[in-house]
Amino acid sequence: QSLCVHLNYPLYIRSVPTQGELKFHYTVHTSLDVVEEKISGVGKALADQRELYLGLLYPTEDYKVYGYVTNSKVKFVIVVDSSNTSLRDNEIRSMFRKLHNSFTDVMCNPFYNPGDPIQSKAFDSIVSTMMVQAC
Amino acid sequence: MAQCVQSVQEFIQDSFVPMVAVLCSEDAERVTRKNSLSFPELLRPFCRLTSEGHLRDPNNQVVVVKGLRISVTGINTRPPQTPEMHRLLSQAVSVCQPPEGSPANVITAGDYDLNISATTPWFETYRENFLQSMPASEHEFLNHYLACMLVVSSCEAVPTEQFLKLSQEQHRIQHSGEYTHPKWFIPNTLKYYVLLHDISEGDEQRADSVYEDMKQRYGTQGCYLLKINSRSGSTGADEQMPDPWSQYLHKTSIHNPELYEESAVSNAVENNIGAEEDGLDPSIRDGPLVFADDNETHPLQLDQPTDAGYPSNNASQSVNNVDMTRPQKQASVTSHTTPTPRGTCLTLNDHDHIRQFIQEFTFRGLLPHIEKNIRQLNDQLVSRKGLSRSLFSATKKLFGGGKVPEKSIAELKNTAGLLYPSEAPELQIRKMADLCFLVQHYELAYNCYHTAKKDFLSDQAMLYAAGALEMAAVAAFLQSGAPRPYPAHYMDTAIQTYRDVCKNMLLAERCCLLSAEILKSQTKYSDAATLLIKMTSEDSDLRSALLLEQAAHCFINMRGPMVRKFAFHMILAGHRFSKAGQKRHALRCYCQALQVYKGKGWALAEDHINFTIGRQSFTLRQPDNAVAAFRHILINDSKQSAVQQTAFLREYLYVYKVRNTHSCIMEALTLFSTGEKQAATHVSLDQEFDRDLSPLWRELEERVVAVVNRGAVPITFQPSQCCLNSQTDNLRYPLAVVEEPIIVEVVFRNPLKIPLALSALCLLWKFTPKDFSDPQGNTTMALNDIIDTQVIPEFTISPEETKVARLKLLPHKTGELHVLGVVYNLGTGEVDNSEGDLMCVRGQQNLEIQGPRLNMTKEEKTSVTYGPDHRLDPIITPLMPLLEVALTQAINFFQFNT
Repeated sequence: QSLCVHLNYPLYIRSVPTQGELKFHYTVHTSLDVVEEKISGVGKALADQRELYLGLLYPTEDYKVYGYVTNSKVKFVIVVDSSNTSLRDNEIRSMFRKLHNSFTDVMCNPFYNPGDPIQSKAFDSIVSTMMVQAC
Repeated sequence: MAQCVQSVQEFIQDSFVPMVAVLCSEDAERVTRKNSLSFPELLRPFCRLTSEGHLRDPNNQVVVVKGLRISVTGINTRPPQTPEMHRLLSQAVSVCQPPEGSPANVITAGDYDLNISATTPWFETYRENFLQSMPASEHEFLNHYLACMLVVSSCEAVPTEQFLKLSQEQHRIQHSGEYTHPKWFIPNTLKYYVLLHDISEGDEQRADSVYEDMKQRYGTQGCYLLKINSRSGSTGADEQMPDPWSQYLHKTSIHNPELYEESAVSNAVENNIGAEEDGLDPSIRDGPLVFADDNETHPLQLDQPTDAGYPSNNASQSVNNVDMTRPQKQASVTSHTTPTPRGTCLTLNDHDHIRQFIQEFTFRGLLPHIEKNIRQLNDQLVSRKGLSRSLFSATKKLFGGGKVPEKSIAELKNTAGLLYPSEAPELQIRKMADLCFLVQHYELAYNCYHTAKKDFLSDQAMLYAAGALEMAAVAAFLQSGAPRPYPAHYMDTAIQTYRDVCKNMLLAERCCLLSAEILKSQTKYSDAATLLIKMTSEDSDLRSALLLEQAAHCFINMRGPMVRKFAFHMILAGHRFSKAGQKRHALRCYCQALQVYKGKGWALAEDHINFTIGRQSFTLRQPDNAVAAFRHILINDSKQSAVQQTAFLREYLYVYKVRNTHSCIMEALTLFSTGEKQAATHVSLDQEFDRDLSPLWRELEERVVAVVNRGAVPITFQPSQCCLNSQTDNLRYPLAVVEEPIIVEVVFRNPLKIPLALSALCLLWKFTPKDFSDPQGNTTMALNDIIDTQVIPEFTISPEETKVARLKLLPHKTGELHVLGVVYNLGTGEVDNSEGDLMCVRGQQNLEIQGPRLNMTKEEKTSVTYGPDHRLDPIITPLMPLLEVALTQAINFFQFNT
């Protein structure tokens, strides 16, 4: 599993297991194109009530890539093993929601400089628990 | 896909052209040899017709043929075998490099500005070569020979007899069943009799009379008198003649052995570089060897034992161009120095003659022949089955159930379904379709292909069906006015069938190239990209690389450019290129991808690309780029593991070392960020300078002065202890005294997760002697007489450690000193390494100190300016009194204050 939050450059990225990290990074980076395509695909008028969850971006041979975009265009991407069938769309959706909440908490930190990589223990631990659950 | 020079229509038309075989008598071959060309080669530049041709279709409608090209080849030309074909293709690609400083295309997508070459000539070269070297297949007739030119020289004793002989020979090749190649379109091949007359040698009268005789015998439509060689070969004074052959013949011979050598050797180098210290050596050692090899196994060389499938002229009495391999081989061997001039005996008039000849042949010979055959085939089809044909097969399917078609007795079963005998009635319609296609009657061609497709499908003849589908799609696309949309699904089915059912990758690839080009022209980039990516596979790295690159170009050309997908596929392409031994192309791909990843925080990806670029540049002998790329990996706060970093560092050091042997330019090795610096002068205590203690010392000194001055401290008093750091006032040049040490502290930080060993660490300085007592001092003295420079032999920095190095100078002369920087040998921290001495490089780090930011005047406040800092530029003054204090007893001297 891999997870990343960003505005076209990574604010936070983490993956388990760590040995295939490079591959995950490439996957996530490439998926941003799909995210952008999906965003621009939705009409401007609908942008307000747009569903934040984008669903499955694309399946590769080994992974499934899911995307989520906040209203401020911060993108969340989750990559899971395609063999992992326990994760339904709904679970992924709730994972994203949880992630978004804790991301909001990070943003509320007055000492956080928007655009910096996220270095927050609280955020870290939430991500870790999510990854443990997913595995 | 990148832009192409040709338009789609041109490209497809040129991919499928009427094929004409050439059978030459020995004498005729000799005549053309004077120009160091064979007869087909002689004709090649003139094979595109400039004027329009006309013919009538079965419905008596006039079809206009525009810009037709014909392909003329020797009868015994065989398509290259697979390995040879691979080699030819990879050569063609490696020779074709992007031109230096070509106008780059800047694409702005979102926040990216990318420099991308708009065209990819290497891909076009590959495609052209690939399509030309397609072997003739059973299931289609497009590249089967339609006609045969029989060429006889006029100086032959009895030319007519020779013609008869050649004609029989041709008949034997086509009909005896001895040869599986070449393949012939129709049983009664058009024979075109050409009398070749050498003006400089032969008797023109005689040639004319022979020609008259030929006209009687074969009709005016079936023969031609071609006069060439108006100039004798020796008069080569005016070399202004254009050489139309160059662009056709250069391609097939190696004219750039260097490039080829690289692509051949590179694999070996790549494997060695990481593992061994002397990674470059094998390539140097192997270089000349491989080069010699090139000449041995030249791709044009054909003198392997001829296999039975081909008509070999060794056996028959009319020896054609068997000889041709040898002169060509020699030509290519000597080509590095002097390219053999071609066509030296031909004047511009001769060129015109040849052009006229081709025109005459096509319009009077070939096109009527095709027209006649289309008509015949059409009559056959109509008379035999008529319209009931498809109706009949439909009813048969309805009622017959799974019954095997009756003709199956004659059919062979293979994995790809049926194989029809070459004269099977099912094939006649395909034949007609192909003929129509060749003469650009796309509407009729489409109808025929469509009907043929249905027949083949109902017979489950999958290979044939795929072929018909492919061509139906192409014909539908080429129909002017576009009565029907391009049926992309036909192509998809065809590709799938070729690949999965027939296991014929070549055909699948051809189909994919055509379809991608067509989709591109309709701006369906995403479909084209999918198609191209699907076509990549494990069996050919070169093909996969080229297709991936084109797919990447598709992504960037989309309406909403997909920059990241572009970059990712570029990396994949680069990877495949490097596997295929195409180093330069690989490097280019990675460099283009780097533009996207650079500086966006994708550290792992960026490191990976930089590392690959470093390696590739290194194997391409571009050590400067390699060093720059490797440096990039190490300088930035690396997120790699320690093991990775060790590998990177080793490689970096190694590359650096190799580079220095090439060129002895030393460059700053800026691995470390230097922290604050201090210049401590005057005080030389055994105890190192300590900032917390300095007020103590200062007070002590003040007391001493007070005692000396009997109780009063003079106003001009200044503590003589001097230690400068970023907080002190550094505007003045500090004073230092001769024979007293100056110590400079340099803070090193190791950003890596591995220990680093510096050795022979010392200061670098500049000294201007100035004798303050004696104005005319001489400057000729040994370095050590001026200043003693202390060298620290070993200085290890643990991972991520910040460590202070204390470097001492002891001046012996007065003057102005400037401390410029530090020099050191950088090596890995591994001590057990026996060649540790090998794995370290000399590095230099300049010390440049920025003074404090000025903030006094308005001007200074509004702009960012920094004051000077002269900490490191002490002036060495003559000897001064030195107070020496010896503490004989360990009294608690320092505690008086507390």
